[in-house]
Amino acid sequence: MSISRRQFLKNSSTAGGALAIGFSLTACSGSRLPPVAAPGDFQPDAYLRITTQGEIVVQIPKAEMGQGVITGMLTLIGEELDTSPALLRFEHAPAHPQFDDPEFRMQVTGGSASVRVYARLLREVGAAARAAILMAASRDSGIAVEQLSLRDGVVSAKAGGYRSELAPLVPLASQFDIPEQLTLKSPTDYRFVGKYDQRADARSKSDGTAQFGMDVQLDGLRVAVLRRSPAFGGVLTQFDATKALNMTGVEHVFAVGEAVAVVADNYWHAQQGAKAVALTFSEPESAYRSSAELEAAMDSALADPDSFHSARKTGSAASTEDPTVSGDYFVPFLAHAPMEPLNATARVTAERVDVWTGTQAPDVAQAAAADALGISRDRVFIHNQMLGGGFGRRAGPDVVVEAVRVAAQAGVPVKVVWSREDDTQQDMYRPAMKARLAARLSSDGSVENWSHHIVGPSVLQSVASAMGAAAAPAWVPDGVFRFAGKIIGGRDPQSVEGAAELPYQFGGVEVAFRNLPTHVPLGFWRSVGHSYNAFVVESFVDEVAHAAGIDPLQFRLQYLPEDSPERACLMQVAQMADWQAPPSGVVQGIAVHSSFESTVAEVVRLRTVAGELRVDEVFCAVHCGEVINPGIVEAQMQGGIVFALSAALFGQITLDKGAVVQSNFHDYPLLRMDQSPAIHVAIVPGDGPPTGVGEPGVPPLAAALGNALFAATGERQRRLPFSVKA
Amino acid sequence: MVRFTLNGEQRELDVDADMPLLWVLRDELGLTGTKFGCGMGLCGACTIHLDGAATRSCILPVSTVEGREVATIESLAGAHPLQAAWVKYNVPQCGYCQSGQIMSAAALLAENPAPDRDAIRSAMAGNLCRCGTYSRIEQAIASVAETATPVAAVQSYDPAEQGTE
Repeated sequence: MSISRRQFLKNSSTAGGALAIGFSLTACSGSRLPPVAAPGDFQPDAYLRITTQGEIVVQIPKAEMGQGVITGMLTLIGEELDTSPALLRFEHAPAHPQFDDPEFRMQVTGGSASVRVYARLLREVGAAARAAILMAASRDSGIAVEQLSLRDGVVSAKAGGYRSELAPLVPLASQFDIPEQLTLKSPTDYRFVGKYDQRADARSKSDGTAQFGMDVQLDGLRVAVLRRSPAFGGVLTQFDATKALNMTGVEHVFAVGEAVAVVADNYWHAQQGAKAVALTFSEPESAYRSSAELEAAMDSALADPDSFHSARKTGSAASTEDPTVSGDYFVPFLAHAPMEPLNATARVTAERVDVWTGTQAPDVAQAAAADALGISRDRVFIHNQMLGGGFGRRAGPDVVVEAVRVAAQAGVPVKVVWSREDDTQQDMYRPAMKARLAARLSSDGSVENWSHHIVGPSVLQSVASAMGAAAAPAWVPDGVFRFAGKIIGGRDPQSVEGAAELPYQFGGVEVAFRNLPTHVPLGFWRSVGHSYNAFVVESFVDEVAHAAGIDPLQFRLQYLPEDSPERACLMQVAQMADWQAPPSGVVQGIAVHSSFESTVAEVVRLRTVAGELRVDEVFCAVHCGEVINPGIVEAQMQGGIVFALSAALFGQITLDKGAVVQSNFHDYPLLRMDQSPAIHVAIVPGDGPPTGVGEPGVPPLAAALGNALFAATGERQRRLPFSVKA
Repeated sequence: MVRFTLNGEQRELDVDADMPLLWVLRDELGLTGTKFGCGMGLCGACTIHLDGAATRSCILPVSTVEGREVATIESLAGAHPLQAAWVKYNVPQCGYCQSGQIMSAAALLAENPAPDRDAIRSAMAGNLCRCGTYSRIEQAIASVAETATPVAAVQSYDPAEQGTE
């Protein structure tokens, strides 16, 4: 495939804007160097350099939180360099506008978008470097470029007689402009895309050497533990540090914002010291001090449907005055619970601020740190680390702000470490939501209308301040984003995602949302709005199918467009699970959902073991376009299913006195290995570019499980987490 | 002063007797392969071997290891057959829990070189993985179990028996 780079960049700039950044910075253009420049390296763009030793080093602009983004990106670049991804070295890219996501225009990892957005760009990065290396080898050897080939880091003449490693070609390669025309490989020539089956980080994550934020060590590093208001919005009124300051290892105790920080020589001493601080917080005047109060407010809102903002109204006039089927669904707040509790290490000097942390949004962290210290962003350097789980939690900059403030005040480098209790009680939560569903069947059994009203707090409103401030130029006051957040919150598209795009061709469809702001901090939780809307939609579709007296699979197929990916995935998963004739002794539930441009169908198979219903097996069919690494797609489906099962079976964060009740894994349990089902994944072949895989495995699971529970018990459960009884 | 064997070496440390071994390893000795996950012995990220038995180091006061043998993920040096299997089957996702998973699996195989599926799942139930790598962990352990040879006998450690929580 031959493309004009100029044309490609022009095309992409209409879609994304910032895609041209890497390529405008060729080594010989004389413009400013990319942020990882090293003297003597061949560095055609921000993403790739070849060192004077011939090592190919790739800047990974996205956070590695387990989703395999490093492997995926090395595979794409390696393919065009005709060089095994195993021979490429990677580094976490620093916070820098050159690494802004072309679509988000921020340096954020989320939306299952990394490979989708970057696939073409990274192939061009590889192709550009390959072109320059071959031109250098041509000058070196006097052999025409067409007669040379690059393979696994070695250039050789096709006819023999010339062979060169990369190192000697590096000084020459820097002298050439990258050609206007780049030739990308044809899929028939792929050596790695869709084939390479190793993770770049498997070894370091199996021998204990992978470095997470928690593992950062610096000379003179101290550890800080903070005491924060248990109730959200509480203001620190007084504290007494006397006892803590007399304890072993404790060096400083001071207020930082509305918290008290205890700085000590290690975590244990900091934690013991923090326990010894006597402190009081004001009672915040927050609405909904308990979960029951919040749900009562949701019920009141649902009784006033005219107060909702319409997200979709299509087809025949959707009247739900006399529904055939109706029901209210509820999902609770959820915590992210990454295995690595939040942490950040900061060193603050007069000249610069360095922060080491695992973050999904280095530029948000950079902006928040700069704002917290009142300095310019270009003096803040973010050193990203491996993330011990992210799931959306590590997009928030809260722990980074704490770290720079504590380090600045203590005058020493400090690592702020959260306990599991902090992590559970100070999260940015998946919001609780309630939904009222209604559908009417006509006399011939077809669906005349479908109505879906959603009420709950908007995630976007909650995060608009921090994220908006990072995305915008520094001179825009943060207040603008708080104001904008209120407006966006009322019609938050993420609150209705996966509901408004209902794929079923019913007579009339009405979807509406009402924002119910709370004091509870909210964040993106793996699959965001899809995490609850898929549960509601696909459960209620099951209810309507039963009301119509039609098999739930047949019902879905009947209302889905002929060539839809939903249909293809349902057919595939039904075949895998023997839907029409399952083995004796099991019951099954099915669901399908599209999110992040991919589609996933799942069947949950329950078996009664010793008088108890067990989730025995899960079947999964995923449609995600071109597959870069099939093993990682499978792993993301397996992981998404386990993540969703934890939520569906156990997950709930409840409030009492304005604070979170749960604190650790005993009362916020996660699925354990002996509870986890066998998971069978099939990839449904699809044309087109790669689409998301990190999140789309999550949404269908709860509905498939609820539908299976209905099949087993005859009881429809409309609240999460489920109560599982035989 | 606490004396114990760490990864085959005699150590003598001047640390608080009640400091959990996890923080001695991580903050005092710089051995960061052993992870902090919950501080309550609930998640298994901090699993080490105490006289060969898989033990949660986050709730183990360092005084209890006096005169005993402690081994961390670093002691396996990437050379344990389980570690090769972890790489072969691409087990890790975020990877944070995997040191603990491997230490639990190594203790299991030392005690029972040929565990069946139920034995693997029950022995590994104390190690949480938020990324959901359970099926690959099971696969990797099973692949090693078939060819594993017995190592040392193990003892179990009961914190209550030692007079600690």
